[in-house]
Amino acid sequence: MQPEFTEVQRFLIDCPPFDELTGEQRQWVAQNIKAAYLNEHNVDALFKQHSPALYIVRSGGFDLLAPDGHLIERLESHDLFGFPSLLSGRPVVNKLKVIEDGIIYIVSADMFDKLRQNVRAFEQYFIRAHGQRLLSEVARRSTPGRGEATVNADATGSGKAAVNIDATNNRNSDDLTDITAASASRPAVAEKSPGYDTLELTLAEVINREPVTVSSTASIREAAQVMRDKKVSSVMVTGAVQGRHPEEGADLGLHPTSSKLFGILTDRDLRNRVIAQGLSYDIQVNAVMTQAPATVYGRQTLMDALTLMTQHNIHHLPVLDDNDQPIGMITNTDLMRQQRSEPVMLISAINKAETREQLITEARHIPAYMQTFAARVHDTTMVGRLLASLTDSMTRKLISLYEQDHGVAPGTYCWIAFGSQGREDQVLSSDQDNGLLLGNGLNEQQLEWFKGLGEYVCTGLNECGIPLCPGDIMASNPDCRRTLDGWLDRFQTWTTSPTPKALMYCQIFFDSRMVHGNKRLYQRYRDEVARLGKNEFFLGNLARLQVSVQVPLGLFNRFRGTESGKDSDLINIKRYGIALINDIVRIYSLQAGLTVPQTLQRLEQLRGSNLLNRKDNQSLAEAWQFLTQLRLQHQLDIWGTDKPKNALDPDELSTLTRRQLKTAFRIIKDCQQGVGLKFGRIG
Amino acid sequence: MWSLIKRWWHKIQVRRKPWTEHSYIALDIETSGLDPANDQILAIAWVEVTPPVINYTSGRYYLIKHDKTDLKQSPVIHGLVKKDFIETSELCDVMQALSVTMCNKILICHHIQLDWRFLKQAAKSCDIQLAPLALFDTLGFEANRLKRQQHHIERGSLTLSACRTRYGLPEYDAHHAFSDAVGCAELMLAQAYKYAGSEKSSII
Repeated sequence: MQPEFTEVQRFLIDCPPFDELTGEQRQWVAQNIKAAYLNEHNVDALFKQHSPALYIVRSGGFDLLAPDGHLIERLESHDLFGFPSLLSGRPVVNKLKVIEDGIIYIVSADMFDKLRQNVRAFEQYFIRAHGQRLLSEVARRSTPGRGEATVNADATGSGKAAVNIDATNNRNSDDLTDITAASASRPAVAEKSPGYDTLELTLAEVINREPVTVSSTASIREAAQVMRDKKVSSVMVTGAVQGRHPEEGADLGLHPTSSKLFGILTDRDLRNRVIAQGLSYDIQVNAVMTQAPATVYGRQTLMDALTLMTQHNIHHLPVLDDNDQPIGMITNTDLMRQQRSEPVMLISAINKAETREQLITEARHIPAYMQTFAARVHDTTMVGRLLASLTDSMTRKLISLYEQDHGVAPGTYCWIAFGSQGREDQVLSSDQDNGLLLGNGLNEQQLEWFKGLGEYVCTGLNECGIPLCPGDIMASNPDCRRTLDGWLDRFQTWTTSPTPKALMYCQIFFDSRMVHGNKRLYQRYRDEVARLGKNEFFLGNLARLQVSVQVPLGLFNRFRGTESGKDSDLINIKRYGIALINDIVRIYSLQAGLTVPQTLQRLEQLRGSNLLNRKDNQSLAEAWQFLTQLRLQHQLDIWGTDKPKNALDPDELSTLTRRQLKTAFRIIKDCQQGVGLKFGRIG
Repeated sequence: MWSLIKRWWHKIQVRRKPWTEHSYIALDIETSGLDPANDQILAIAWVEVTPPVINYTSGRYYLIKHDKTDLKQSPVIHGLVKKDFIETSELCDVMQALSVTMCNKILICHHIQLDWRFLKQAAKSCDIQLAPLALFDTLGFEANRLKRQQHHIERGSLTLSACRTRYGLPEYDAHHAFSDAVGCAELMLAQAYKYAGSEKSSII
């Protein structure tokens, strides 16, 4: 009888994608594989005899070399190679050199094909790994509770001479794969709580009634009647588009599923803009509606709606389909009902706080709540966005409390979030980065009012749990409280005579978002800053600075610790990962004159750019998501201990996560080189 | 008489082939004690090797049927308990299969004297001939090598797992007959490739 091959099976469980197989299938693999002792004497003959096949490194060390002899990767235990030729039948170019003798397992082409045919996840894994994954898969969310699933693909090998098994020189395509699977799922966390947070639902899933619309030429009275009959607190105002006929209720100007959205009209508008103003009810709604309101698409999530509502302090959001046709309205009441939820509750509790003390009491709930929220959501970016939303709400509340005590602002101004709050990739330990933008021509007394505001809000945020900024990038610092001209002067200095320190510092200021204040003022500021940021000489210096920071991969693509002292084996994935990607994306955004601060949104807007090709764009987004996720998971794991928040031990990661982390670093390294080539020569 | 001489000549000839051109069978047995005359084979496992490949399809593992299973020291050593003996095989059937597989192959064991004595005893009782081409002892090889290098051989440094560690082979859970057979096969390949030099030389 055949033995159970326990050893091999145990090994395969830890060797994705074999973890996707059932126990029975793994047993079948174990019963049918071959093991070979690989050394420099037999490597050529062995591969000649067995290829094409899938090879799994069980022990030893082997260098995968490109045809020109340069090292692509050192293969170690659990690495796979040889499969691209199984999938494509392409000729082989890479070579394998034995560094340390060891055992490799050989999965024959026949076995490989049987597994592919029977196990979808197994096949998917290799197809993705081979870089032929459909683009649509990138955006696709993982199924709940699904574990990690992908492989490091560029591991291909061959005889050390000209005899080859296989090759993938196409690093990028493989990397994409690696990261995607990672970004699509977060095993440990997902296992803890397999359900989605309802904030991850799409709006289209949530909206359950027909949109209520009135024609822009309907009278205010008609609109109010529609709102009464349909029992809604707001109505979408649409304009007829050619070829559409008003259907029933045409005499009311009602177009049940109509055309272009012009604006919205709410109960509050009727009160404030009509009754209080004593307007006639016979004038057309387009005179009093809110024009060109903020909107969301049905494919976006409740979280998107929540973010938008908090940022603009609005309670009604029209939802459109992909053809810009209104499909419904989402309100903050809907959100609360949907969510019964803490994020919305928390934000609304913050908004309702009447004193600073009440606000601080509410804010104390945030860390504990964020823990459970973070463990629940599948899309990690939601955590940063929710924290940014909460910080925004607290900031606005503190501003309004200050205004209650000190009178309204003596001039136009904007409260600006920089850095991680600006980018919405905040974590619980993130400190404050903010500033005040003031209108020009203020007198001493007026400036004094803003000085008080800066101090009040920054100390308030600190008490709410957002630590003071050690670098003093805060509105309480006169340096970060400037008029429009003051800020522009500063940016001008940075961009025309960039010292290394100024460069490092000023990058924080390029990631900005308005939290509160005068939109027009902010827009002017942001446009001017974008113009200054395009300076080629400045970008050249910035590029050289960025390229000088090395990713934590050492010789043979092994991890290199980034920390000092007792943590010297740890890798800081914020500073040497996430921040490097932010930097790379920022430089392309500056060059393109973009004004959005979020890294993923910047990448989205950069799509189609001549400078950053689509593949790199996608790789960067996926690497960013992977690293953000890894950091979040790490922070959840170490919560309550005094372990470093951004540095982790690569030896404690799973086989797959380690492969993915390496891939992410390689992407960064390659893109850094791209930045150096494209920008570094200028200036 | 003539056939005996022919067989002997044949053996001499094949033994001259480079070691990589031979076939091997790596084997491990679990016994109820250390005395072939009185103790029994409880389990037997083997796997075939054609250098540098260990073919898992050829892997076999048998628990041997006994009238009264005597587990003197075995539960401790082998982790075998009574319930493992539900699906058992007749010793002579297993010896028959082994005899066929072993023919013209070199038998590899770790500490081969002991296993070989048990095997011969069992074969005799079943009236079966075991005719391996030769025997190779991974323990003996290692002991000689260490002695030649004038190493002092420390206690415990010749166990299968200690020997494997010296060659950088992965750690296995020891004392399952099949794991040990595979472990022994890998060790033999490592020893041969490392110390037999080129593939052309002979190790027996």
